[in-house]
Amino acid sequence: MTTYIAQRLFIFFPMLFVISFLVYSGLELSPGDAVSHMISPELASTITAEQLDAMREAYGLNQSFITRYWIWLTSMVQGDMGYSMAGGVAISTIMAKTVPATLELSLVALFFSTILGCSLGVISALKRGSGTDNSLTVAGMAGVSIPEFFFGLVAILLFAIELKWLPVGGRLMPHYETVWDRIPNIVLPSLVLALMMTAGAMRYARSSMLDVLAREFITTARSKGMPEWRVNILHGFRVALTPVVVLIGFRLPLLIGGSTIIEQVYQWPGIGSMFIRSVRGSDYPLVMTISLMYVFVVLTASLVIDVLTALIDPRVRLGKN
Amino acid sequence: MAQTSLDKKFDQIRKREEEKTFSVKKRSRIVSKFLNNRLAVVGLIIFTIIILASLFAPLLSPYDPMRVDLRSMRQAPSFDHWFGTDSTGRDVFTRVLFGGRVSIFIGLGSAILSAVVGIAVGCYAGYKGGWIDVIALRVSEIFMSFPQIILVLLLVSITGQSLFNLMAIFILTGWGGMYRLARARMLSLREEEYVQALRSFGLSTFTICYKHMLPNALSPIMVNITLSTAMFILTEAGLSFLGLGVPLNIPTWGNILNVAQDILVLQNYWWMWGPVGIVISVFVLCVNFIGDGLRDSTDPSQQG
Repeated sequence: MTTYIAQRLFIFFPMLFVISFLVYSGLELSPGDAVSHMISPELASTITAEQLDAMREAYGLNQSFITRYWIWLTSMVQGDMGYSMAGGVAISTIMAKTVPATLELSLVALFFSTILGCSLGVISALKRGSGTDNSLTVAGMAGVSIPEFFFGLVAILLFAIELKWLPVGGRLMPHYETVWDRIPNIVLPSLVLALMMTAGAMRYARSSMLDVLAREFITTARSKGMPEWRVNILHGFRVALTPVVVLIGFRLPLLIGGSTIIEQVYQWPGIGSMFIRSVRGSDYPLVMTISLMYVFVVLTASLVIDVLTALIDPRVRLGKN
Repeated sequence: MAQTSLDKKFDQIRKREEEKTFSVKKRSRIVSKFLNNRLAVVGLIIFTIIILASLFAPLLSPYDPMRVDLRSMRQAPSFDHWFGTDSTGRDVFTRVLFGGRVSIFIGLGSAILSAVVGIAVGCYAGYKGGWIDVIALRVSEIFMSFPQIILVLLLVSITGQSLFNLMAIFILTGWGGMYRLARARMLSLREEEYVQALRSFGLSTFTICYKHMLPNALSPIMVNITLSTAMFILTEAGLSFLGLGVPLNIPTWGNILNVAQDILVLQNYWWMWGPVGIVISVFVLCVNFIGDGLRDSTDPSQQG
């Protein structure tokens, strides 16, 4: 087991290193440098090339690419993420503000979509071939075909504008600060996100449950005269659910992608809408840091999944050696 | 001798042979299985209608998708303007038709091109193995460590927005999946006896992997092309909705939807964004149905 984890870590760190280098090079290819962003358009006409060079030297921008990358990387590891070009706010401050909002939205959506997806998938598997199963399958297809932002817009129009049940967007209203005041704001975005992610979980739970139901221990349980619901729930469902737990990790990239656009639609002040704003404003340091953070999260999640799968299923780790 | 059921079956077959009813049925098993899948057929029909409608857009609509007509702005759907007009008086139905051209071109084009790249690399690397395979695998892993939309947005911010850039970015982010699929198929085909036979005949590596092995790997690849077409169309719509996809002067489905970011449009002018959203959803749903039908009809493990 230790060797297996060591092997995975041996891939994990070089991967992160290479990606950070590539992303930093991408930043280098983007037009302009830090100095050109600091100078306001009015000043640009009066400033001379020598002054610009002096500024570059002062900020260390005349050093070689590799040196600058190394400085950036070492300060990044120490937790200094640099500054955003829009307003010069420290990126760590922006992160501290936006990450909790995104986590809140994503976890709620993950919770609902997993519960909904698993139960619908199991129902679908138990009633295989029936009308319920077929309509759930078609509904699942529709779920992956409708653009999430369009679904979000329709939900806003219906529940926020027409029926006025819920707010149009945002996370906190001014002067409303208790947990209870915040619930109406999270309902729409999290449910829309959850519904969009339910389809994948449902499909997975269905096939996993069908797999389990065909196994011999289910036949044994039935032949003992156990009531059908006990067979399905206690014996089938419990076994089928183990890979579904792993699925939660696999759905992370999907969750990130979905939450990015949904946050924008609902003006949710999270990391996704911040990312979109930074791409729009060509705020490269922020774009770079946020995308690297996402890569770090995805790679860590897949590392954790690999280790978990190896813990559950010894064939995985033995097969590698 | 008593006639067994097998004899009866054989008699039936002989009878049909004599009546020459066999020659009528020429459809392959894959085609007939696909045609038996009702959803896939419905999907294919609507898919064809939408594509034809976009191709022949100038014949179907008297309006110019770009022409601004301020006298007829923000009109609700009527007989003259089926989907109404937008804030600058352009006919929304015409824009949806012309937008379909670009959106479908981007989706289908990127899916096919990324498949070409993925297959070209995957076939060779999967068959040959060695350092080429190791490098390609690592490179595809790098691309797959990003959540797709994040990588696309990152690349958009580096390269800037244009139709060409967007397709290049889609190919760059999409080839990895195709590569892995082609590679996995090649790895299992590599051990087949006919491949060993070809090798012992002294055929070149290129001939073996592209001419003899690739056709046996095509059906899962076809399914994957369909499904990634759906995905690319959705991604394009999402990006253009955010104003980060195709430049706004080119009508695409996503760009038409872009106006819905304005809460006033969302509230008062549903026809500017509702119909086009439904068209995208229906089109992508059809593509997914086709993909599913293809998978069911070509998957040998499901043939019975």
